[in-house]
Amino acid sequence: MVSQHGILYAVHLVTNQFGNLVAKVCECLLRDGALPIHAIVRRTELSPAKVKNSLLVLIQHNCAQAFILEESVSGEDAGEPGKAHTQYIALFVNILHRVRFSKFLDVVSKELGGSCGELFRGLLEHGRLTVKQIVDRADANAKESTKTVQEDLHKLVMAHYVECCPAPEPLVPPPDPDAKKRAKSSKVLVESLTLEQRVMAVAMPSSMRRFSFVPNTDQIADDQQNVNQPPTKDVGQKRKLHDLESDPALEEEAECNWRANFEELLRRLRHKACVDTIKVRFDDVAATVLSAMLAASRAEENKVKTANSVPLSLDTIYEEVVKNEKNHSMTFDHVRTCLEELSSPPAFVKTDDESYSIDFAQIVEAAQSEEIESIILKRYGEAAYKIFRLLFRVGRLMETDKIADTIFAEKKETSKTLYKLWQDGYLLMEKLVMGGTATGPSYGGSSFILWKVNKRLLWGTVVDEMFHAAFNLNQRLTHEIDQNKEVILNLPPDKREGPDKQKFDRLRNVRLLIHSSLMKLDDVIMLFHDF
Amino acid sequence: MSRLQSPSALKRKRPDSNSQGMTDQERVVYKLIHEKENMGIWVRDIKRSSNLQDTIVNKSIKSLLDKGMIKEVVNVQNKTRKTYLAAEFEPSPELTGGAWYDDGNLDVDFINAVKKLCSQKIKQLKVATVESVMDSVKASGAFKADLKKNHFEEIFGALVLDNEVMEVESNGMGEFAGIKVGKVCYKAIGKRRVGAAAAAAAAAEPRIGAMASIPCGVCPRISSCTPDGVISPGTCVYYQKWLDF
Repeated sequence: MVSQHGILYAVHLVTNQFGNLVAKVCECLLRDGALPIHAIVRRTELSPAKVKNSLLVLIQHNCAQAFILEESVSGEDAGEPGKAHTQYIALFVNILHRVRFSKFLDVVSKELGGSCGELFRGLLEHGRLTVKQIVDRADANAKESTKTVQEDLHKLVMAHYVECCPAPEPLVPPPDPDAKKRAKSSKVLVESLTLEQRVMAVAMPSSMRRFSFVPNTDQIADDQQNVNQPPTKDVGQKRKLHDLESDPALEEEAECNWRANFEELLRRLRHKACVDTIKVRFDDVAATVLSAMLAASRAEENKVKTANSVPLSLDTIYEEVVKNEKNHSMTFDHVRTCLEELSSPPAFVKTDDESYSIDFAQIVEAAQSEEIESIILKRYGEAAYKIFRLLFRVGRLMETDKIADTIFAEKKETSKTLYKLWQDGYLLMEKLVMGGTATGPSYGGSSFILWKVNKRLLWGTVVDEMFHAAFNLNQRLTHEIDQNKEVILNLPPDKREGPDKQKFDRLRNVRLLIHSSLMKLDDVIMLFHDF
Repeated sequence: MSRLQSPSALKRKRPDSNSQGMTDQERVVYKLIHEKENMGIWVRDIKRSSNLQDTIVNKSIKSLLDKGMIKEVVNVQNKTRKTYLAAEFEPSPELTGGAWYDDGNLDVDFINAVKKLCSQKIKQLKVATVESVMDSVKASGAFKADLKKNHFEEIFGALVLDNEVMEVESNGMGEFAGIKVGKVCYKAIGKRRVGAAAAAAAAAEPRIGAMASIPCGVCPRISSCTPDGVISPGTCVYYQKWLDF
């Protein structure tokens, strides 16, 4: 279930990029879950045509997915499910990815170069493209040859940065009955999460098909021959039919749309976040060694939230380190010492019989704790910071007086701080009432207030606040631009002087600051929501 | 500020005057107080247990105080409750608060002095146990107070919460060589840096996170903030200050 401010933020992103109509349909799906088209029409009060067009835009840009529930198909038309059973679900995470396109592009360009980056940019801009569309775009923009474009696409697919799009309307089987029994008490919540996961699991093509692209040299030759001939409908169709009949692989490729593989990109950003965390806590050398371990173990990783990397020997790690010219001065002992430090408690690298593996969970948790503690310190002060650290480490209920004693604070002040943290959703409170007489002057009262950090609930609170903050940053930027519209729109650059120039300069700085803050805030949102 | 903390629960023998110069009611009240030894008793508990009228109890207590047979002490757990001890007992640590309290109040200066010294010792030792620091502090004679192992454990716990030191378990290798595997140790927190940045790192200021760097991250009213509300991003004074270049 998406939080309230998560929905606000996502709808804002969709509004900015696709307009109010599409955003209205998107909001309906985010708030109400998966719906068939007639239900969306009813709830949004838009015409069926507008709803359909909005859904097409959302699907094109991977922000929604159509599907058919197997149990909704009746016996007589089981062979042909039909449009009446099609439902649509919003893909919240993919909507969030839209603010990360510059980060994704950076990852791809640094690893594979400018021309791959340019091709990848096209896929991000357009959502999904066929090979022909990719080739046509490259030809129009940079006059790249078909051969180059296909080679670049091949590189991107082999690196798993680009994938074949999911099936347009997969048939989703009913859920596992045992899972449903377990989720009885929170039926609605679990069902919507599970439904999205079930839909995408069925929709995604097999791993082989998902990352299978072979540059078609015959196609390249044909295209080059046809450059000087006026295209005729019959010739094109006859050729296409002949090709389809003779080459099933080409048939598959012709049908396949390609899009950015957000899963792989998210994995790379997670790696980057881990390296940055280690760099802050240790130094550049430790960051270099960790980067090398990530590069060496990357191929074995099969999901974003993997807890540990595969074990690597010291030799393998060293070989990877010195592959980079900048690290040629690092010695074997240098790397070994660094690994010993990383494995020293609290260990970010695990050792087992002369092999080393990265403990992603430990690194991510350390970064998350630091972020939350920073918020609490700034917002509530030092006492709250200590209280939170105590309760987070202890992980169980603690009584007010005990907390005050442990942090060496006055009990009255401690109580006030605890209530504040509880009111804002950072702590859980429980009241313990003891019956009978008091056992001594220390326990003169009959009720005790106990406090605890519930990590799962806390993470939800924090993430929702982050979405709220991201939404607010965008709102403020809009407000600032509106306030200074006349300076931007009506005044040519050479006429800006005095107060107008100051306003313009201020607005430029405001935009820079807010954009930069949004990018950093998005890094933290990924830390809590995706890593 | 150093203080000497004498052992608690000393009982000096007095001549048997309990039966002398006391009314029957005073005797009942005194017996209840005396039974509690160094733990003391709350006046309301005296009233409940004695089944005497409030005025009688109050009068008896006043009389016993005047005779010097009982004394009133501050209960640090609950300062508003009048607590009484027989005169021959010293109040227990539960009543006084122990080593960290002075006259019913938290002795912040003393606590900070002990924390500072322990933190310095941990930095010197690189990896320290409670025992090693305790021995070092006692050997230095910096404090007159008789601090026990549990006191140092409390101080170390506070240093961990201050994010000045981290608590780890020895793995018996490297910097933990010589320390039993699984033994709880403490290391100073600070990044290994080279050159100019080392000085900045030594200050060990907690890093400000991305969320805490923006107005919403530190706003106490974020839960009341809405796009068109009284508190909104457009009207927010924190944003105004933040964007006031």
